[in-house]
Amino acid sequence: MLTTIEKIVFVALALVSAGFTVHGFKLIIDSIRKGRPAPELKNVPASLLNAGVKVLFQQTIFKARKALSAIHMGLFFGLITYAFVNLFDVLEGLVPGFDLVYGGAHIPNAPTGLINAFNLIADVMSMFLLVAITVFLIRRFIVKDKALDYRENILLNPKVKAGGQQIDSLIVGAFVIMHVIAHLMSQSYRLTNGAYPFMPIASFLNSIFGTSETGVHVAWWISIGWVMFIIPYLSRSKHTHFFMAPVTLGLAKQNPRGQLDPAIPLKVIEGQKFDPGAKFIHDLSWKRALDAYACVQCNRCQDVCPMNFAEGAPLSPSALEVNKRYLLKEATFGSHPDRLLLPLTETVISAEAVWSCTTCHACVSICPVGNEPMADIVDIRRRMIVDGAELDSGVQNALQSLATNGNWMSKGKRLRGRWAKEMEFPVKNATEEPVEHLWFVGDTASFDERVIPNTKMVARIFQQGGLDFGIMYQNESNAGNDVRRVGEEGLFEQLVEQNMQAFGKAQFKQIVTTDPHSFNTLKNEYPQFGGKFEVKHYTMTLLKLFEEGKLTVKNKLSNYKVTFHDPCYLGRYNGGFTAPRKLLEMLGVEFVEMPRNCENSFCCGAGGGQIWMGKVAPGERPAENRIKEALTTFGESTNEKTQLFIVTCPKDMVMYSDAVKTTGNEGKIEVRDIIQLVAEAVGVEEPVVAEAVAA
Amino acid sequence: MNIVVAIKHIPSIADDLPVKGNNVDFDSVDFVLNEFDEQSIEQAVLVKEAVGGTVTVVGVDVIGELDNVLHLALAKGADKAVKITGDDPAADSHQQAKWLAEAIKGLSPNIVFAGVQASNDLDGQIGPMIAAYLDMPYIGGVSSVEVSDHTATVNKEFAGGFGAKYSVSLPMVVGVQAASKPPRYAPISKVRQVAQMATIEKVAPSGGVSSGLSFKKMAPPVVTGHAEMIGGSSKEVAAKIVELLKSKGLA
Amino acid sequence: MSNDVFVITEHMDGKFSDVSFEMVGKAKELTSAWGGQAVAVVVGGGAASNIFASDATIHVDDAALSQFNPEAYGKVIEALVKEKSPRLVMFGWTAMGMDIAAWLSARTGKPCVAYARDLCIENNALIVNSQVYGGKMIAEVAPEGDMVIVACLAGSFAVEAGQGSTAATQIASPVALVGLKTKFVEAIKPAGGDVDITAQAKLVSIGRGIGSKDNVELAEELAQKLGATVSSSRPVVDAGWLPRTRQVGKSGLKVKPKLYLMLGISGAPEHLEGMKSAELIIAVNTDKKAPIFNVAHYGATADLFEVAEAMLELL
Repeated sequence: MLTTIEKIVFVALALVSAGFTVHGFKLIIDSIRKGRPAPELKNVPASLLNAGVKVLFQQTIFKARKALSAIHMGLFFGLITYAFVNLFDVLEGLVPGFDLVYGGAHIPNAPTGLINAFNLIADVMSMFLLVAITVFLIRRFIVKDKALDYRENILLNPKVKAGGQQIDSLIVGAFVIMHVIAHLMSQSYRLTNGAYPFMPIASFLNSIFGTSETGVHVAWWISIGWVMFIIPYLSRSKHTHFFMAPVTLGLAKQNPRGQLDPAIPLKVIEGQKFDPGAKFIHDLSWKRALDAYACVQCNRCQDVCPMNFAEGAPLSPSALEVNKRYLLKEATFGSHPDRLLLPLTETVISAEAVWSCTTCHACVSICPVGNEPMADIVDIRRRMIVDGAELDSGVQNALQSLATNGNWMSKGKRLRGRWAKEMEFPVKNATEEPVEHLWFVGDTASFDERVIPNTKMVARIFQQGGLDFGIMYQNESNAGNDVRRVGEEGLFEQLVEQNMQAFGKAQFKQIVTTDPHSFNTLKNEYPQFGGKFEVKHYTMTLLKLFEEGKLTVKNKLSNYKVTFHDPCYLGRYNGGFTAPRKLLEMLGVEFVEMPRNCENSFCCGAGGGQIWMGKVAPGERPAENRIKEALTTFGESTNEKTQLFIVTCPKDMVMYSDAVKTTGNEGKIEVRDIIQLVAEAVGVEEPVVAEAVAA
Repeated sequence: MNIVVAIKHIPSIADDLPVKGNNVDFDSVDFVLNEFDEQSIEQAVLVKEAVGGTVTVVGVDVIGELDNVLHLALAKGADKAVKITGDDPAADSHQQAKWLAEAIKGLSPNIVFAGVQASNDLDGQIGPMIAAYLDMPYIGGVSSVEVSDHTATVNKEFAGGFGAKYSVSLPMVVGVQAASKPPRYAPISKVRQVAQMATIEKVAPSGGVSSGLSFKKMAPPVVTGHAEMIGGSSKEVAAKIVELLKSKGLA
Repeated sequence: MSNDVFVITEHMDGKFSDVSFEMVGKAKELTSAWGGQAVAVVVGGGAASNIFASDATIHVDDAALSQFNPEAYGKVIEALVKEKSPRLVMFGWTAMGMDIAAWLSARTGKPCVAYARDLCIENNALIVNSQVYGGKMIAEVAPEGDMVIVACLAGSFAVEAGQGSTAATQIASPVALVGLKTKFVEAIKPAGGDVDITAQAKLVSIGRGIGSKDNVELAEELAQKLGATVSSSRPVVDAGWLPRTRQVGKSGLKVKPKLYLMLGISGAPEHLEGMKSAELIIAVNTDKKAPIFNVAHYGATADLFEVAEAMLELL
C-alpha cells in the first residue's frame, strides 16, 4: 500500500522509535538492577505464567471498584487486540496486496473465516476502547474523582504536584482516541465494495466518508505514525504499567504475608556490605524499585489505608510509589542522578508518614499488581532507628521498656504472671512442667487491668474444656511482632532469642496465643530463627474444644445481635476468618457482617507500633470510623437485642472500647471479647470473690 | 578530656521486692541500671560530643550481669567500659564508691559523672563519696554541664525551677539529676554489635570500707491508710469524681 | 565526744526550709533521752538564725558562704563536727543536704543513713528508719560508731517543735576558705511567665502514665475545664514534657492545694513529699498496687485517658 518513499520513511521512523524504546527500557532495567537483592523466588516461570493468567482474566483488579474494573478490563482487551491490529496495519502498509478487509479477499488462500472473525473483534473492540478511554478521561478530567488525588499534606514529587501524571493520562488518552479513530478511518476508506458486515463500524464510517486512496494513506500514517511516538513515550510515563504490571505480579513476594523481608538481604554479595533497612532508594530491593514502574496510581491502596483515611496523617502508599518512580526517572532519564543520594524521607515519603503506618497490610493485599509499599515503609523505619533518628517519645519509652523488661508497659518481668497467681486454680508454669498447650499470653493480656478479666476468663474456659495448658510466667517476653514492624530489628531479634530460650525450657505440643500479633510472628517469623511450632490463635483452640464436645453451649445467646471485627494479624495476614465466625454461630447469636470484613477488614489503628505513639493524627480515628460502620450495619436499633462488637485481640478491646466512648455510642454498642460470650454460653462465671483492695 | 561515668546496678523496683532475712532477697529480683545513671551517661556523651575526649563507664558488677548495662552505655556513645568484679549484691554505696574511686583514680579523669541518687542509697550516694575519696569537689542535682578548658559550668537545681550556676575547676564529680537533653535511644542492633565487638576491662576490687550500718529489718511499709476506691467503668469513675468535686465546690 | 545532735539547717533567700525546723524538733527529742544538746548549725549569712527551738545555735558566717557552695559548706561542716564531735549530725535529704551528707561520711569514716524518715533510741542506741527502693521498703538500721550522719526526708517530723527563739552564737569559719575550686556564678530563677503552682487552689497532676508529650494536652484541657493548673511528677519534667516550674515533689515544689487530681502518678516518695498535705487527693492509676492509693483520699484503678476524656464531657 505504501509508496517506496513512505516505506523508507516508515522504516527509518520505526528504527528510531525502537531505539528510543530499547534505550528507555534499558534505563528502567538498569535502575531496577541497582536495588538490593530481593528474597529468593522459587519457580519463577510458573509464577510468571500464573501471573499471566491472572492478568488475562483481570482477576486482581476486581477486589475493589467493580464497575471501573470492568472498564479497565475493556481497555485491557482493547489494547491487546490493538497489538494485533497494529501488526496487521503495518503488514498492510508494507506488504503489497496484504489487506484484511472483506476477509482478505486479495490474499491467496486466505483463511477468510478467521480474518472475518478478527475483523469483527477488532472493529467492536475499537468501540470498547473508545468508550473505556473516554470514561477514564471523563473520570479524571471532568468528574475529577477524588480517589485519583492526593491530600495536601502528603509528600509529592514537585512534578507530580504540577500535574505530571495528569499530562501522562491526557497524552496517552488522546493518543488512544486518535489512534483508534485513525485506524477505523483507514479501514473505512478501504471499503471500496461498500458495507462489509464484519466491520460494522468501519462500514458505517464508509457510508458517510466513502473511499479514498489518499484517505487510507493519511489515516494509516496518523494511526501507525503515532504508535512510533507513543511506544518510546510509554517507557517514560506511568504507563510502564502496561509492561511491568504482569512482571511485578509474577515476581511478587512468595513468603507468607506475615513474614517481613530481612532488614539486610540474606544473599551475600562479595565486597558489598549492607546497612539494615533503607535510607536511599537503592537500599530497597530491586523488586520494590520494579513496584514503582508497575504502579499506575489507581490509588486503591489509598482507599483502604486506615491512615490515609485519618485526614491528619500524611500517608498514601500510592504517593510513595509514584514518588519512587519520579525519583528514578529524574535520575535515569533526567539530569538529576544526585537526587538518588537524598534520603527517601525527603523524596518519597515524609518521616511523619513513615511513622503513621499501622502495617495492616491492606495496601499490599488490595494492590492489583503485587506491590508492597508497606514493606518500603518498614525498611525506612529500620534505617531510621539504626541511624538514631529522634523517635516519638511514646515509641522510645515502649522500646526502652521492651529492652529492659521484655514488655512495653514498663512493668517488671516478674509481674507478668501476677494475674495467674490470682486465679482460683493453679495455672501451670510451662517452663517447669510439661503441658500440651503453651499459652503465649502477650503484653496487653498479661498487664492491662482492663483486659486481665478476659485473660482470666480464657484460663477458666481452657480449664473447663480440660485443656492441658500452661504459661511461661516471667520467662515470656513480648513476641516482637510490632517491635519488628516499628523497625527495631535488633530488639526484635533479642526478644526472639529470649522467647526461644524460654521455649527451650518448656515441653509442649503447640502454642496458643491470645494476641493475633504474637500469633503472626510466632507462626511466620520464628521459623526463620529455628522456632518451628504449631501455633494457634485462641479462637481456633476454642473451636476445637467445642467440636470435640469438650465445651458445650448451655445457654444460646439469642439475645445478642453481634458483628465481628477481623484483626489484621489474624485475618488478612493469616486467613483466620472462619474460627471466630463458626464460634459465634455455635453460640447462637444473631450475626451480621460489616461491609468491610475478612480480607477487607478495616484496621483498628493500633498495629505497627501505633499503640505506642504519643502523637495521634487529628480527625476521626480508624477505630471510631469502624464503630460507626458497625452501628450502620446494625441499622435502626430495635431495642430488643443487645448490640455487640466482638473482638478477638486484646489491642482491639482497648482501641474499640475507647472508640465507643469517644464517638458517644455507649449504650448502643458494647465491645466484648469473644471469650466473654463463650463464658456466658458455656456457663462459666467469675468467682464471686471480692477482689481485695490494693494492699 | 577523660570523662568517667560511675554507675550503679540496682534492684528493679518495677517488680515487687521479696525480703530474705534483714535485706532484699537479691536472688529473686532483677537488676537494672539506676535511672539517674541513664541521665549521667547521656550527659557524659553530650560533653564528649561538645568538647571531644573519651567516655569511660565504670561500675561494680554486683550480680555478674553488668555487661548488658555496659554494652548499652557503649552503644549510646561511651568509648570504654570497666567493670569491677565486686560480685556482692549487698555491696553498699560506701563499698562501691571506694572500689570505684580506686578504679577511677587510674583513669586520671578530668570529670566524673554519677547519678544524683539511687533508690538503694541507704548509706548515701556514690557520687559525693567518690569525690571525697578522690579529693575532688562535688555538685549534685545537676541538670546541665558545659565544659571548656579546665572548667566546668554546671547548673544545680534546688526546687521548683530555682537553682544556681557554678563554675568549678576540674577535675570534679558531678551528680546528675537530668541530662541537658533526654537520653537517646540506642538501637539494639548496635547494642548487640557492641556486645560482640567490645571488650570490657575487668578490674579486681581494691580497698575495703564499711558503711557501719547493721540491718535490723527490711519490710514493705505498713499501710496506715487507704484511699476510698471508686469502682466501675472509666465513665462511672469520671462521673463520681465530677460529682465529688461538685459537692465540694471544686468544679 | 559529746552526746550533742547537730542539725545542719538550710536557708535560701533569707528563709529556712521546713525540714530545718523539723530536724531541730527531732534533735531535741533525741537529746532529751541522751542528755546532750540539740545544736542548730547555720552556715552562711543572710538569714535571722535565732528562730530555732534548739539548745544552742551556731551561726558560721564568711564571705565565701554567702551563697550555697557545696565545697565551702562541706569544709565548714567537716571542721565543725571534727572539732565538736557530736553524736549525731542531721542533714535534710535535700538538694543541699544530699551534696554534703554522704561526702562527709566518706571524709570522716562515720556511717551515714540516707532517706531517713524516723530516728529513735533503743537501749541507748540509735535506730534509723529509712525509706528505700522508691518507698517500696522500709529499712531499719543501727549505725555503729561514735558519730552518725543521717539525712532526713522532708516532712518526716513536725515543724512546730523546732521553732523557737534561741540566740545564735556567731563564729567565723573554722577553716580558711581560700583556694576553693567551686565558684558560685549566679542564681537561677524559675523561667519567668509561668504560673506558680504553689499558689494554685487546684492542680491536675500528671505522671509517667501520661505516656508521651502529646498527651499532656489532654491534661491541659481537663485542667482548663476545672479551673486548675497542670503540674507533674519528676519523670514528666525530666523528659522535657513540662517545664521545671510544674514539678511537684522533693526536687520540685511543695504544694498544698484544695484539690490535687493525680493522673498516672504511682506515688514515689519523692513526689509524696511535695503533695501529701493537699486537702483533697484523688488518684487515677492503672496499677491497683500503686503506693499513691495509700496516701490519696479517693482512688480509682482506671485508664487515665478514658477518665479524663469522660470528665471533659461531664464538665
